[in-house]
Amino acid sequence: MKPFTYVVPRSLQEASEAGKQPDTVLKGAGVDLIDRMKERLQTPTHVVNLLPLKDALAGVAVEANGELRIGALTTLTQLEQHTALAGRAFEGLRLATGMTATPQVRNRATVAGNILQFTRCWYVRSEAHRCLHGGRGPTCLAMTGENRFHAVLGWQDCVRVHPSNLAPPLLAMGAEYTTTLGDKVTRRKFADLFPAEPRAQNPEHTLLPGEVVTAIHVPPQPAGARSFYCESREKLSFDWATTACAVRLVMDGDTITAADLVLGAVAPVPLPRPNAAKLLVGQKASEQLFQKVADAAFAGANPLAHNAYKLTVGKAIVRDALSHATRQS
Amino acid sequence: MSSPRDPVEITVGYRALGNNALPGLQDRLEKRTVQPKEGDAPPWDANTQFAYVGTDVDRVDGLAKATGRAKYSYDITFPGLLQAMILRSPVAKGKLTGLLLDEAKGMPGIAAVVPLKEIGHQVRFVGDALAAVAGTTLHAVRDAIERIRADIAAEEHNVDYIVADKAPQLGDGGQIDEPWPESKDNEIEQALGTAAVQHTATYRVEVQTHSSLETHGGVAKWNGNDLEIWLSTQATFGVRGELARALQGKGLDVGSVTLHAEYVGGGFGSKFSAGIEGLAVCLLAHAAKAPVKLMLDRFEEHTTTGNRPGALMQARAGVDKDGKIVAWDWRSFGHGGFTGSGGSVAVPNYYTGAAKVRRDHKELVIDTDPPRPMRAPGHPQGWFGAELFLDELAAKAGIDPLEFRLRNDAEAIRLDQWRFGAARFGWDKGRAHQNAPGARLLRGVGLSSARWGNLGNQGRPPHGITCRIHQDGTVESRSGAQDIGVGLKTVMAIVTAEELGITPGHVKATTGHTSDPSGPASGGSMVTPSLAPAVRHAAFLAKQALVEMVAKHLGVPMSEVQCKGGKVGAGTAQLSWADACKLIGPNPIDERGTRQANYDSKPFHPTQCGAQFAEVEIDRATGVVRVLRMFGIQDCGLVIAKKQAESQVLGAMIQGVSYAIHEQRIMDKRSGRMLNGDFLRYKVTGTQDLPELACHMHSIANGHDSVGAAGLGEPPSVASAAAIANAVFHALGTPVRHLPITPDKVLAALASKKG
Repeated sequence: MKPFTYVVPRSLQEASEAGKQPDTVLKGAGVDLIDRMKERLQTPTHVVNLLPLKDALAGVAVEANGELRIGALTTLTQLEQHTALAGRAFEGLRLATGMTATPQVRNRATVAGNILQFTRCWYVRSEAHRCLHGGRGPTCLAMTGENRFHAVLGWQDCVRVHPSNLAPPLLAMGAEYTTTLGDKVTRRKFADLFPAEPRAQNPEHTLLPGEVVTAIHVPPQPAGARSFYCESREKLSFDWATTACAVRLVMDGDTITAADLVLGAVAPVPLPRPNAAKLLVGQKASEQLFQKVADAAFAGANPLAHNAYKLTVGKAIVRDALSHATRQS
Repeated sequence: MSSPRDPVEITVGYRALGNNALPGLQDRLEKRTVQPKEGDAPPWDANTQFAYVGTDVDRVDGLAKATGRAKYSYDITFPGLLQAMILRSPVAKGKLTGLLLDEAKGMPGIAAVVPLKEIGHQVRFVGDALAAVAGTTLHAVRDAIERIRADIAAEEHNVDYIVADKAPQLGDGGQIDEPWPESKDNEIEQALGTAAVQHTATYRVEVQTHSSLETHGGVAKWNGNDLEIWLSTQATFGVRGELARALQGKGLDVGSVTLHAEYVGGGFGSKFSAGIEGLAVCLLAHAAKAPVKLMLDRFEEHTTTGNRPGALMQARAGVDKDGKIVAWDWRSFGHGGFTGSGGSVAVPNYYTGAAKVRRDHKELVIDTDPPRPMRAPGHPQGWFGAELFLDELAAKAGIDPLEFRLRNDAEAIRLDQWRFGAARFGWDKGRAHQNAPGARLLRGVGLSSARWGNLGNQGRPPHGITCRIHQDGTVESRSGAQDIGVGLKTVMAIVTAEELGITPGHVKATTGHTSDPSGPASGGSMVTPSLAPAVRHAAFLAKQALVEMVAKHLGVPMSEVQCKGGKVGAGTAQLSWADACKLIGPNPIDERGTRQANYDSKPFHPTQCGAQFAEVEIDRATGVVRVLRMFGIQDCGLVIAKKQAESQVLGAMIQGVSYAIHEQRIMDKRSGRMLNGDFLRYKVTGTQDLPELACHMHSIANGHDSVGAAGLGEPPSVASAAAIANAVFHALGTPVRHLPITPDKVLAALASKKG
């Protein structure tokens, strides 16, 4: 690991100010960052450790207005085990959290860290391969190389996929996030956290230098709300999704009155599919409906040489998520 | 205390598997007359009553390993220890035209820089070693590595064996699309012509890496002109000699090298040589005049220390109306990395005894690091192809796969194992299961045979073991051979305890220091069958020395004194083990046992047989295969350390699951570099993916030496992937002929079935 200065902030503002300095990274648990630094894939001059701010930034609470506030430094284990996630409305978030990585990682990794994860693309994460990501090379190497785990949807000049398990359910549930930049506190829609144009030169997220995610807010869910999360992966133990789907439905009796559907692991960003979701509204659960929704979720897909299988798998995962979300009990 | 021995009549073989409860299974016991060597222990046989052999003795070093007290090469450290790394070629093929080391040498904290390749020499693969650097920290070393300028005139490379020179033409669905060469006297073609049913198909496997938990490397320390090295190796004596030869220029001879490998974190066949890293650490320590540690990182481990190579295989065969194989034609193409060797494929020969048989193999050259032996080299590949082919052939002929094996398998012992294993596994029920039309989850069962053959390296000159009995009642059993994790120490403790009539806890077994008697490399399932008789011989000689003292002390004839149940004595005149050992002076009893040649008489079972069964469940919608359960039966002569033996079989199945459905090396064709050279995207089966695993150790009194142990490391790893692939075939109704069986391939198979 290259030497770096290690900044231990005493306050959020201090962390933010430190984070504005050039060549600086903000570190949560550092689960992935430390590995990348050891391999010299990332060699920051300054590392700002956010963990000392845990008292203020970790923890899950239900606010007076019924909103769920998830501190950015909450560990995945804390989130998964919180009673607020017990019901069917939050089942998707709970499942997504619980199937991430390994128990050891979940005990350490933070919610914000999971959402702001760096891509797992094997070209991007290789010093030896100079690809377009981050402007290191002229072209996306995965696009014409080995791409069995890469994007099938929504890609432009870079076919990486977004690896976060938590982002799809949070998007589906209409979450928002709060950041601090200097003394400025801003709350935005969750979708704003990800680039609208997921190009190679854009980072995985839209945060400005020094901008610290402090909390995620999940709005109170109406009666009849359900959510679910499914992902496909080659291994059950410690693997990344090849496709993922989070859904949130509101049911009135047998009828779906509202629906959100977000795909994960198939595009450079977690990908809301409103056109697929709206097919559900006003309908009753059926295999035919779910098939139609699954097809719509992957409408416009543009698979690469080695990942067309993701369309078949991804559609099955969409159907699974819907059928679990609409199950009777 | 040796004495000439008379011939001894012993009973060899085994009692019926399942205790005569199953039809067709009965005792297979035979009398043999054997001639033990002078001074050797009398043979154990099928009637020997054991106190510890074949029982569930815990791994003797388990606690030390679990608590971290066991020190692996990776753990060795000294004051002033330097760290080291190797500069690797980023280019898959080319010529080294320049190597400028001076700037690196002048960097802060750098103690030594040595070139590992000469200017003008070929660079053979991405990861080929160019130079090595030692310094105070890995950070300083990495900085220096980045300042070495290596110029390589790159040439066009190829890392894909499917398009290598001499690779066969592939047609639809990856099938080899080239005519078979005409056979001698046209005998294969004629035999095929007589067949009632014929079949032909092509099979393919991808690279599996050894993935030892402890990477290659070690710590080197020069004491004057003598070299002491702690190396993660599976061949202590071979590597010691190899290093001495390589370092002759430093004034080193083999007697001046002491090698330690007390604990080794796996090898699987990849650690027979010191490797460039072993040589580099010695050169660096010599140049730096300080101890140096050099351990590879995971990427280097995946890309520069060998692998189980990929292969293409094609079979054509036919059966007669009775379901007997009449013709078997086989050709395979394996890739050997840049060396063009080591890619060979083995196939079972016991199904085709009466058939016209031909086998052909071609090695392909690609610009990657060469293969190294990996747990039954060539066998898991070939058995996958051959056993899946057999199931396809049986299906065409309308014969159940088990019945097909029973009709064609020429090995009587495995016929017992098929019947026993099928009953234990529930073959008939599993096979009868019909997946409901439209069912999402498809179940299937499959089976495969296993085979190996090792009754021990008898050693020329013979391997040895030291057995010491101390005044305080403790016993040492020492071998200079290595225990790479499979349980040699436990075997030594059990055999010694059995011979001395004490508990294994009395015995401290030590392995891996070349100052102790020589033993074989951990290869070919050789160590236990090679050393167990020597362990016993050493204990037997030590016992005789103790018996002599006790007989004299008690005033009883030596011939009547026995060591049994923690006592030494005759009749009512008994000493406790502790009291008996008090008769030993300050110097311990110190005996050297040797590995004698095997008896001249025919062993009961000259090879090792096994059979494995697997059940899978496949999600038709996602293509994901889960292995639900596996059962294996395996013989290995006399089972000594039952828990460790079972662990070998179960571990082989786990590795087989991983080979069958998860592991594959993925190469970038343009850069020639492995893309998944880590443990995140190189997918090794994890705990949640494991099936329910069970095995039965089929202990056989083999009568080939005083113990009768046979090899076990390789044989169980031969069958697993094949059994799983056959279960997938049963579940899907169509075979997936390409390992690993990942979701994309399952979905493609289902789609082609529909189409």
